[in-house]
Amino acid sequence: MATLNIKSLGKTYPGGVTAVSDVNADIADGEFIVLVGPSGCGKSTILRMIAGLEGITTGDLQIGERRVNDLEPGERDIAMVFQNYALYPHMSVRGNMEYGLKNEGLPKDQIATRIAEAARTLRLEEYLDRKPAQLSGGQRQRVAMGRAIVRDPKVFLFDEPLSNLDAKLRTQLRAELKALHQRLGATFIYVTHDQVEAMSLADRIIIMNAGRVEQIGTPMDLYLRPASRFVADFIGSPAMNVVEGTVTEDRRGLLVDGSRDIRFAGEIPASAGAKVAMGIRPEHLSLDATGAAQFHLEVDFVEQLGADTVVHGKVSGTSVPLAVRLSGVQQHASGEVLELGCGADQLHLFDLSSGQRLN
Amino acid sequence: MQKRVVFRSRLLPYLLVLPQIAITVAFFFWPSYQALESSFFIEDAFGFSREWVWLENYYELFRDPGYLKSFRTTLVFGFSVAFLAMAISLILAVAANRVIKAATGYRTLLIWPYAVAPALAGVIWYFLMNPSLGIVAYWLKGIGVEWNHYVNGDQALLLVVVAAAWKQVSYNFLFFLAGLQSIPKSLIEAAAIDRAGPMRRFWSITFPLLTPTTFFLLVVNLVYAFFDTFALIHATTEGGPADATSILVFRVYNTGFIGQDYGSSAAQSVILMGMVILMTFIQFRYVERKVQY
Amino acid sequence: MVENRPILTFLTHAILIVGVLFLCFPVWMALVASTHGPGALSQSPIPLWFGDQAWENYSQLLAGGLPEAGGVPIGMMMFNSLIMALVITFGKIVISILSAYAIVYFRFPFRMGFFWMIFITLMLPVEVRILPTFDVVVKMGLLNTYAGLTIPLIASATATFLFRQFFLTIPDELVEAARIDRAGPIRFFKDILLPLSRTNIAALFIILFIYGWNQYLWPLLITTDESLYTVVMGIQRMVNSGEALPVWHYIMGTAVLAMIPPVLVVVLMQKLFVKGLVESEK
Repeated sequence: MATLNIKSLGKTYPGGVTAVSDVNADIADGEFIVLVGPSGCGKSTILRMIAGLEGITTGDLQIGERRVNDLEPGERDIAMVFQNYALYPHMSVRGNMEYGLKNEGLPKDQIATRIAEAARTLRLEEYLDRKPAQLSGGQRQRVAMGRAIVRDPKVFLFDEPLSNLDAKLRTQLRAELKALHQRLGATFIYVTHDQVEAMSLADRIIIMNAGRVEQIGTPMDLYLRPASRFVADFIGSPAMNVVEGTVTEDRRGLLVDGSRDIRFAGEIPASAGAKVAMGIRPEHLSLDATGAAQFHLEVDFVEQLGADTVVHGKVSGTSVPLAVRLSGVQQHASGEVLELGCGADQLHLFDLSSGQRLN
Repeated sequence: MQKRVVFRSRLLPYLLVLPQIAITVAFFFWPSYQALESSFFIEDAFGFSREWVWLENYYELFRDPGYLKSFRTTLVFGFSVAFLAMAISLILAVAANRVIKAATGYRTLLIWPYAVAPALAGVIWYFLMNPSLGIVAYWLKGIGVEWNHYVNGDQALLLVVVAAAWKQVSYNFLFFLAGLQSIPKSLIEAAAIDRAGPMRRFWSITFPLLTPTTFFLLVVNLVYAFFDTFALIHATTEGGPADATSILVFRVYNTGFIGQDYGSSAAQSVILMGMVILMTFIQFRYVERKVQY
Repeated sequence: MVENRPILTFLTHAILIVGVLFLCFPVWMALVASTHGPGALSQSPIPLWFGDQAWENYSQLLAGGLPEAGGVPIGMMMFNSLIMALVITFGKIVISILSAYAIVYFRFPFRMGFFWMIFITLMLPVEVRILPTFDVVVKMGLLNTYAGLTIPLIASATATFLFRQFFLTIPDELVEAARIDRAGPIRFFKDILLPLSRTNIAALFIILFIYGWNQYLWPLLITTDESLYTVVMGIQRMVNSGEALPVWHYIMGTAVLAMIPPVLVVVLMQKLFVKGLVESEK
């Protein structure tokens, strides 16, 4: 178990393509870190640089105070679980788990103890002599975890380990993974593109976009105070409503679509005439139209989810889409206009060109 | 073309390719260079002196009616073998693809001749067609055909064509069968629903879809007939009678080892290499196309 | 098939039976001829059914040899053939798998150069460059040796391509997992790649064994010493025996003996053979 320090880490491929640039993060011992972002954002590259599978172009990487930039993957004291599990197809479950330990030169009895322990933890005892092809997807996943656990590494790396599984199994294994983390108390670094997975697993999330870190924070930080429009968009389901507009002269309204404006109770922290994007989560809008901002929603259609109802429509009189999530079962006809409001701290303002948070 | 992750090692990869490269250089590149070089020289019979003659050896070849005839013989031989072997094997493959019962049994009985060496195929057919006691020659006499490949050049050529094709049927059969099996059944069923009968289905659906296989096999069969049949001819007709079965590759050997004319043999080698390179190139162009297909 | 027409089914079987007869009949005749004495084979038509000389003919061939073929027992020729076929097969597999491993799993200067060098050998069949290749072997003093008989035939572009193709289908993650498990290049090769290549090696073995066993021109040139004759090439001495009439019952017996090992390999390992053949040509 160890801390992990990432200092201005960058990766540029020989062809000149920069996959990752200037990533900084200090990860505490025993933390569960999730790297999240859309595909191609560089999250897997970072994980692979930590593993030593990808060379580091710039910056430093330290595992437990030791600089590991130039160490082979096998020397870094890490273990990795791959998306497709990467089990050795010709070896039994036991063979898969003990391969790394054998290469390390561990005595036989120790290997046996560790495997027995991991097999018990992961409920794999009866499968130890089977080949990977004879196992189900979930079992293979557990073998891949077992292969990591027996090595007793300082850092566990996970590369989208649940994405090849069906939805039900994924939810179940997510809970098991969380429990495993608590039991082992080791440092976990986990890559996923699924924001639900990120939110439910992470102590802290590193959210990436186009090779850069957008924000590092706890799931609630990211949800409540997204640092950029990208983060706001990425986290939360249904996605955050974003209304683009120009700040009015009195800085208490937003001119949308050139004509209609949305009024605010307080002052907008941007100069008059500035172009901004305003975000409100669908679940933060309510039918109580007395909040810091008021909206008129013209209903298009209604999604009944059982526990909630999501009403989709437009900001009245414009073509700007807007959705609201209301609790319980609600009936609204197409064309109906709803009056909505929300609190001041639930409004997110972003600069339109840079995407940075303003309030 | 390459793996994402590669091992870091300076020396090891060179050690790994060394045996292959050493053999390739010693027995492929060096001799090929030698052939190219000596094709520009005329050497006296004892190997004491040689003279740089530019393209004289090549001119000589194309002025030699024997060589030109050999070119023609090679083409006739090659295309006949390819056509015969492919036609027979296509019919057999279509039939085998229809069969459900005893399919493996038929397949076993049809593929084993692949393992028979061309030389042996030649010798056995040589025996069957032997004018004085061959059983096939006897039957031919029964229907009024006087068979004697020792005298009749066309008959000798036909003999080696049949023997060479006989050996190649198995190979073609396997590829045609694989090609047929990769055609989606739904296409044939759709054609049947469109009221196409079995013959029409074959010519309008199956055969066009087999084109890549057919073309591939054509090239392979030509290469086989042009080069691999040396043994067959050497073990039987020895190019005769009167050079009727003397294909190019046989001539290279004859000119060099029997006639001791190194320059001319080398020039013939170079021409043959050109032919193989051309055919390999065509084949790879086709492979590329298949990838896109 | 799509519809059920009895006529078509009948025709199908008829075609297949005719095809089987066409392919089997010559070898049937060879078998029959090899069981007769010279008397039965001196007049036309020759018998279509087995004679009673099988034991005499084959024991004479295997142990005694024929004066027409240099007096070397066929058993010895078959032993030479076996050695040649096995050395060529193992040699090709070993050097091909090693070079394919280097080309796929390492990045080093001249990697592509080596790749093309191996590729180009596809275009240079031994028959085409026979004389200069023979010269090289003479200069190396390898005439009449097993080394001269086999080593020049060991380089193989086809096998290298097959292995390369196969290695490229092995997921990258497997190497990565192995590296994290502290396996270096040699360990990865030995523990992971080699066991995974088993089927491919077996399939190639069949194709290459047949290739090696059936070599003709090369042993013809390299061996002047009769004790090194191989059976496929030795038969030629009997057929073209000059003035003397060919002894067909012995020739056919030799032909049968010469084709038994490769035919057995194909028939017994049919599945692997088909896989190896169809895949190596892709």
